Amino acid sequence: MVPVSAVVGSSAILFAIGAFGFLARRNIILMLISAEVMLNAVNLSLVGFSWHLGDPRGQVLALFVIAVAAAEAAIGLGLVIAMNRNRPGAGVGDLTSLKW
Amino acid sequence: MSLLTAIFYYMAFACVASALLAVTRKNPVHSMLWVLALFLHVAGIFLLLNAEFLAAVQIIVYAGAILIFYLFVLILLDVQEEVARPRFGRHWLFAVAIGLSFAALAALARVETLDPEGVWVAPAARPVAAVGPPQGSLEEIGMALFGPFALPFEIASLLLLAAIVGAIVLAKRKAGGA
Repeated sequence: MVPVSAVVGSSAILFAIGAFGFLARRNIILMLISAEVMLNAVNLSLVGFSWHLGDPRGQVLALFVIAVAAAEAAIGLGLVIAMNRNRPGAGVGDLTSLKW
Repeated sequence: MSLLTAIFYYMAFACVASALLAVTRKNPVHSMLWVLALFLHVAGIFLLLNAEFLAAVQIIVYAGAILIFYLFVLILLDVQEEVARPRFGRHWLFAVAIGLSFAALAALARVETLDPEGVWVAPAARPVAAVGPPQGSLEEIGMALFGPFALPFEIASLLLLAAIVGAIVLAKRKAGGA
């Protein structure tokens, strides 16, 4: 019997790693991948609670999270392709047009 | 410690290790491969938690479709040049602090609620129904998805359609030659 707090705890650690990667990486594709790690952490805790409470709604919500992640990947990578046309590379360090 | 618990702790440890490697590798392709390992291990945890449909979706959609999509975009870029760049920004210590503050939430991960007397009690799990589909099965998820969740399901399909159209518009070359 797996304790549900272990599931939620590992989900929190995975979310922390994803948040760190999103903030620290300078490559826009790896920032998007870190966002996917965070979404996976959320899915993990949703499924953990669904299993603990015996309620299928958590799994349905996790399914919606996966659909939103697919939409987010399509839009994000479309932006990367559009950006790549104007200036090669996927670094975010030189995107300073909106810098205050 | 039963065998299932040992398998769970292996999966959780492998998830954390592969996620750490994924966000710290210099070569983006290596990062993708570690993220693939992370997705497969998360699917393993889903299997342990009676979510076999979600485990299949995780492997087919996440590891199969989304990750390949990322790899396709990655080959548009010059990987050698990416390897030569610094991988973290100068503010990476700030990012470590944010990450640690989220990881501190793991210490609070106790599934309990305060009852009116101020005592921590664990919520009672729903008793398994004697009749009806078994818990976490595809049948149960399907009944929920096409019953009370039918409207969100349709909205999700609309969202995916909008994302497809948006991705085509964003990635399309301008007719006049931009």
